Amino acid sequence: MLTKTSILRVVSKLLIPPIMLFALYVQFHGDFGPGGGFQAGVIFASAFILYALIFGVDNARKVAPAWLTRLMLAAGLLLFAGVGVFTMFLGGDYLDYSMLSKDPHAGQHLGINIIEFGVGTTVAGAMITIFLIFDGRLRAEKKD
Amino acid sequence: MNMFSSAAIAILVTMLLVLIRAFKGPTVYDRILAANSFGTLTMLLIAVNGFLSERPDFLDIALVYALINFIGTIAVSKFVHFKDLAPPLPNNDPGDI
Repeated sequence: MLTKTSILRVVSKLLIPPIMLFALYVQFHGDFGPGGGFQAGVIFASAFILYALIFGVDNARKVAPAWLTRLMLAAGLLLFAGVGVFTMFLGGDYLDYSMLSKDPHAGQHLGINIIEFGVGTTVAGAMITIFLIFDGRLRAEKKD
Repeated sequence: MNMFSSAAIAILVTMLLVLIRAFKGPTVYDRILAANSFGTLTMLLIAVNGFLSERPDFLDIALVYALINFIGTIAVSKFVHFKDLAPPLPNNDPGDI
């Protein structure tokens, strides 16, 4: 933890919640403006990376333990594929969003939002995992 | 020639000056500051370009750029200072997948 740099600590404490909020904005506003699941996931993960940079990887690991990032990686993909298979059970093709609701337009809207949420979850988990893995590798190299 | 295109040209000229500082910079801190300023100017250029092409949605992208630029600068500064992004810690968590 950077104990001597109080400006950085205070500024990042102030900045982390808006970054996460902005990630959610990019996530759910993606069908009207620039954005989408991947970008939102990266922005969400960058909040965790900022936290890990300032407050140390140990504290970041307490917030995002291995089981959580692992779960995020799998759950997003499961959500994506699950919607696809679910529409097949409803009588459409794979990822045929029109089946999700009586009104095809509303169904497509709902479908793309769920899919993008899955993408965002997986990407956020992957980005956090990549950062923490690099840290773990450095630590393993230092040990030898 | 409207206001936004002249602003864009001014920003491009400033970016060139900042790039020269980044390449010449005697110390590493000059380079970090130049990279940070280049990021800020890129953000401004994105915003101005959004108004030039009459698509104010570009402001969202400029906001993202500002946030990521801040984190990038902190990461580079920390790496230069400590020679490591995250100092080694006592417990034995290898990162995990």
